[in-house]
Amino acid sequence: MKIVDITINDQKVSAPSGSTILQAAKQAGIDIPTLCDHPALVPVGACRICVVEVEGQRTLITACTFPINEGMVVQTESPKVIKARKFILDMLFSQRNHYCPFCEMSGDCELQNLGYRYGIDHWVYPTYTTPFPVDATRAYFFMDHNRCVLCGRCERACSDLVANHTLGLRNRGTKSMIHADANVPFGESTCISCGTCLQACPTGALCDKRSAYMGRDIQTEHIKTTCNRCSIGCGMEIVTRGGNVLRIEGDWDATVNAGLLCKNGRFDPLYDERKRVTGPMIRKSGKLQPASWDEALQAVAERIGSANSKEIGVLTSSNPTNEALYLLSKLFCQELKTTNVGLLNPVAPKLFEKSQGSLADITKSDVILVVGADPVKDQPVASFLIKRAVDKGARLIVADGEDNGLTAFAHMSLGMVDIGKAIEIAERAQQPIVLYGAGSTEQTTSALKKLQGKAAFVALELGVNTRAAVSFGFDNGFTPSAARVLYTVIGEQDWNGGDVLTKVDKTTFVIAQASFLSPLTNRADVVLPTAIWSERGGSITNTEGRIQKVNKAVEPKGEAKADWEIISLLAGKLGKKLGASLDEISTLAAQELK
Amino acid sequence: MTKVKVATDWLAGCAGCHMSLLDIDERIVKLLEAVEFTSSPVTDLKHPPKEGVTVGILEGAICNSHNVEVAKQMRERCQILIAIGDCATFGGIPAMRNMCGTQEALNRAYLEAESVVNGIIPDSPELGKPLDMVTGVGEVVKVDLFIPGCPPRANAFWYALTELLAGRTPVILPRELFTYD
Repeated sequence: MKIVDITINDQKVSAPSGSTILQAAKQAGIDIPTLCDHPALVPVGACRICVVEVEGQRTLITACTFPINEGMVVQTESPKVIKARKFILDMLFSQRNHYCPFCEMSGDCELQNLGYRYGIDHWVYPTYTTPFPVDATRAYFFMDHNRCVLCGRCERACSDLVANHTLGLRNRGTKSMIHADANVPFGESTCISCGTCLQACPTGALCDKRSAYMGRDIQTEHIKTTCNRCSIGCGMEIVTRGGNVLRIEGDWDATVNAGLLCKNGRFDPLYDERKRVTGPMIRKSGKLQPASWDEALQAVAERIGSANSKEIGVLTSSNPTNEALYLLSKLFCQELKTTNVGLLNPVAPKLFEKSQGSLADITKSDVILVVGADPVKDQPVASFLIKRAVDKGARLIVADGEDNGLTAFAHMSLGMVDIGKAIEIAERAQQPIVLYGAGSTEQTTSALKKLQGKAAFVALELGVNTRAAVSFGFDNGFTPSAARVLYTVIGEQDWNGGDVLTKVDKTTFVIAQASFLSPLTNRADVVLPTAIWSERGGSITNTEGRIQKVNKAVEPKGEAKADWEIISLLAGKLGKKLGASLDEISTLAAQELK
Repeated sequence: MTKVKVATDWLAGCAGCHMSLLDIDERIVKLLEAVEFTSSPVTDLKHPPKEGVTVGILEGAICNSHNVEVAKQMRERCQILIAIGDCATFGGIPAMRNMCGTQEALNRAYLEAESVVNGIIPDSPELGKPLDMVTGVGEVVKVDLFIPGCPPRANAFWYALTELLAGRTPVILPRELFTYD
């Protein structure tokens, strides 16, 4: 890559050719203020706050859009530049109601920070007199147009990052408005409530309903972790204050999602109204009664200890961490020789021994084959990446049922039997990718193998930690009727065991390691309260096979314990030593997952 | 050494900025060694003396014709005029009525409010006439120093006054004393 030498504020700066002045300055640690610019978005130079003086240029130019060239001499804080920035800020502040004291974002607002930086201590121009509407029709966040600076970050996030194209700009000049679709209320629009616009907004125009006015950024803690709502494993930050979760934000630095989250990951976990299991319970004379951890684990250990390996059944959801699944497999499959084990969700067929691609390949592809998977429903962030690629010209071929969420965006929709056509097209492509799920038939997958070496392959697994559960051997078929003692690890997942509970014998001793009350806990003889997403540490494996850390942000509710810890304690009761600390177990689990 | 004369007054404000000025606490004793407060809304003498003062301080927004008169008189009688608080600098809470218009605000308050019986909009000639637009003080007179904040922090007052006493004008508020809320 060619390196270009320029001078910024009398300092020699070298940056790769093609960099903007802003990028070159940032690299050299020179701070140029921005407002409409965001590292994740394509710069548009809308707000002009980043103007700088460049020798030989007729006017001030926007640093966020202007590429550097050899010998360029730039001044970023000259009197002329500062005068221009103050003028721009005076205009911005006069446009709408940017009066700070009642704004939730006060203290964290990028416009306010600029006001402070350039000493905007009174209005120079007549102030706003036109009230703009507030649109609170969306469930999770509202738009206060009075606080909008028309930077277009939300619109670009919606179209460039999520490829949903809901947001747009209507009218001109001071009457410009961010709007949804053909100017309908946000709540009635094509908005999918992923909240990426909310995260991109620099002011208080877009505000989270749940956490508004509950603390400035400086009063909160941000705990980086991994989302556990699907198998993509998006990097996210849990924002807490005083031991309470305020909101969830996408981690801009995360490899998998680069800041994106979907409604399921960003909002749903905070609006969970299911009833928690807060303490261990044992069924006594037909009713679940509160018990101590020791009593509950003792009761479980006695039943398991006295059963032979054929009488024990283990059924797990894909919700547990790698550590919990590792311990579960070690304890039951290895130590107790249990073979009647099962996973509560279907699994994508195994095509190859080694990884044949990653989610990052989606946006580089020119032909995308989606087979037996519906990412719109099951792995929304993957669907954003697919739609982004389609925006850039990639051909999308969907081989699945007609109700697949991607059908509307597909260039071709096929039945599974016609997969040959799709393979033909992929063979002619430069960089095809195959995204296949649990809905793929065996015939289809064996046909797809033809594309090995040519195409990237990524399985889109259902569930969360499905990949690890399969690695630890839980996808082994499960016969409910054979189990005399049934150990279930459902965690915070909804009970989706179908007719398992009716097929299990009435006398079977059922243990439920669960976070919420459900038909399973109603049937269970012992219930072990389990920590949820915000309360547990460890790691999970995403659908690409990437092992990612999960960090505890708040204390578990009541007496709940992390999933791995419960199994570790149970192993202790059974006299088996399977690793003591979380770190040790993590390392052992990671070794096996490789 | 003769004391520096300071006069304060309030316009459409809530007195909160004056309270914040008093929040400099025991430092006020030290301040009074160098400064004489000639007049203020909380003392017996309300108007700045005819012979003038060095520093005039105004709290509150320009909301009616009376506010305009008070601001102009203060400007005429002081050398350095300081606007304190979000109302005096930006219009503040009183400026919210700009969003609906003065007449609607008066109707709502004096005629339509749920608690009103036989309402009447006050129009005594002794009262200032409400203006169509509420603004900061800077819209009607020249202001030498703006100290925003709702209210401005006591330390901001202390800083500004001690800087002026040290002969440093213009006063540039350090970032930590500059606040919008």
